[in-house]
Amino acid sequence: MKRSTEGFWTLVVIVALSWIQAGTALAAEKPILIGGSLPLTGTFSATGKWVEKGYQFWAEEVNGKGGILGRPVKLIIYDDKSDAKEAVNLIEKAITVDKVDLLLGGYPGTACTAVMPVAEKYKMVYVSMGGHMKSFSQGYTYSFGSPPLMGEWWYLGFFQWMKTVPADQRPKRAAIFTMNNPIGVSLMDSVYKGCKDLGIEILIDEKYNLPLTTADAMIAKAKQMKTDLLFANGMFPDGVMTLRACKSLDYNPKAILQGIGSVIPEWTRELGKDGDYVFSGTSWHYKLKYPGNDKIVKVARERFKEEEPPLYFGFGYAWMQTLQQAVEGAKSLDQTKLRDWLRKNEVKTIAGNFQFDEKGLPKPFVYLTQVIRGTVELIWPPEMRSHEPVYPKPPWK
Amino acid sequence: MWNLVVILQSALSGLLLGGVFALLGVGFSLSWGVMKVINISHAAFGILAAYIAYWGLTLYGWDPMLSLLVSIPLLFFSGLVLHRFLIQKVTRAREIVVASMILTFGLAIVLENAMLFAWAPDERLITTAYSSRALFLGEVILKVSNLIGFGLSMAGIGGIYFFLYHTHTGKAVRATWQDPEGAALQGIPLNRVSMIAFGLAIASAGAGGVAMAYMYSFNPPAHNHWLIFLFLVVIVGGVGSVIGTAVAGLMIGLITGLSGAFLPFQWINVFLFGLLMVILLIKPEGLFRK
Repeated sequence: MKRSTEGFWTLVVIVALSWIQAGTALAAEKPILIGGSLPLTGTFSATGKWVEKGYQFWAEEVNGKGGILGRPVKLIIYDDKSDAKEAVNLIEKAITVDKVDLLLGGYPGTACTAVMPVAEKYKMVYVSMGGHMKSFSQGYTYSFGSPPLMGEWWYLGFFQWMKTVPADQRPKRAAIFTMNNPIGVSLMDSVYKGCKDLGIEILIDEKYNLPLTTADAMIAKAKQMKTDLLFANGMFPDGVMTLRACKSLDYNPKAILQGIGSVIPEWTRELGKDGDYVFSGTSWHYKLKYPGNDKIVKVARERFKEEEPPLYFGFGYAWMQTLQQAVEGAKSLDQTKLRDWLRKNEVKTIAGNFQFDEKGLPKPFVYLTQVIRGTVELIWPPEMRSHEPVYPKPPWK
Repeated sequence: MWNLVVILQSALSGLLLGGVFALLGVGFSLSWGVMKVINISHAAFGILAAYIAYWGLTLYGWDPMLSLLVSIPLLFFSGLVLHRFLIQKVTRAREIVVASMILTFGLAIVLENAMLFAWAPDERLITTAYSSRALFLGEVILKVSNLIGFGLSMAGIGGIYFFLYHTHTGKAVRATWQDPEGAALQGIPLNRVSMIAFGLAIASAGAGGVAMAYMYSFNPPAHNHWLIFLFLVVIVGGVGSVIGTAVAGLMIGLITGLSGAFLPFQWINVFLFGLLMVILLIKPEGLFRK
């Protein structure tokens, strides 16, 4: 009996020692350094900080599960002060001074566009939103958009859905007002192609410089020419002005599409009911039926008190999911192996399941959204629909 | 496509807009004219007043106009304090204009970051019950919020004009601006007069900020955009000229609006700033400065 008790305690000690040893070994594992920059101050800081939160949540989750390849991850996130040139300097610093193992995607598109050639120069995988089609058409082999933010695809979802609307109920005459910058211009591809496919005549097609001083003249023109489809391809400030001008001038097209501004929380919070029924696009939405979105919603609500997780919180997380799957799939930190794995395999993210082409892009997709009763709802594709679309747009009250 | 309704609509909207630019610009012109201080932080104070209006409305349901009862005295007092402890020291510099620009640029950054810290960089929008309401003149509309902004501007500019031309202190401000040494010899306390002028300028920025917030969304860095219009209005109107600033504001608004009716929108700023260059070449002191 005594002998068996001794044996038991010996076993306990051995197990405890092995646990301690294993724990010490894990703790002693050199962390995988993942570095880059985000705009944590300056013009784009609001969004940049959400990307950062997405990255940090991912790192916390990964480390909680024992890391990647048995090693913890450590993020090195520099502040590029919303300056693309600074983003380039900092990614060089991360690569050459910090000697990071993996790169973090940046924000906004201008920074990603500037960083992509640097990643290519150092042959390091760079997963980000990219800077629209132009940035992915430069022959880079180490850059991936997972998901990308593609202006050129922005209204794909809208036109795909519009094809399901009976022909006699579709709009016939479009007015297009676009901010005169690379983001605005990138939206035009999908507008032109979609209008042509559906036989929608473009009566007004104008660009404006930011900041927009007044939208009244634009909307007065659109109303006078009896256009029944409005593309307001702008950001939040000009989008708000355009929408308010629509209401004041009692301009009631069948549908209003707003470029970038209407999928951010400020749109519904600040505009209230006036912001309803506006269509837009997105590459990620928390209501998408992909595993992991429920977790994102929970964290956003509990930790950040955000009823709807901000777009870039999800983007940041999805980019890191991609990087993680590449490392785990390739079982290596060798950048060329990671790149080749991403080229040959499907990644599963909260934004969708993607297979990449030679440009580093998935098949063209953009989810169609509509603001309905203050919530950004998913309209297209139908299997992801969270609410029936409201069409035609009810007249202003 | 030239359409009479579009032209009238564009002209009216432009005029209302220009009135608001004028109010924001008049205080900027005053501190530049009287003290030779180019206050780069001027529009940032406008943003501060816009935030006071926003939070007054959001938290307590105050109409943005009521918020002026808080923001104008607050900003006037802030102007006095800033003048006493910062601006006054700069006015002793050899290159007042350059020194003041550097100082107030720093002030703008401090103010912007303080607002970012307090209220985050989120876009804000003043949305009242009448925000999107309009009066109809046939097919042409007048937005109620723009009319209120315009009314506020005219009242503000009128008040500053009255102060400068019909009060003892105001006359002292003008005398200081026109001939500082002569004014000092007449026993006018230059520092005190400048301090009041600076306080008034900052307070007017507050009123202008609220008027702007009726029309535009804002966040702390938005003052950089607003600053462009300030320079435009003051340079066209003539530094220190209240009437000049008011007329220049209306003119610029009208040109901006009408350009929208006649030109492709992307050419509006090119046209506007091209016009500014021509004005500077022909009349570098501004159109309305004698």
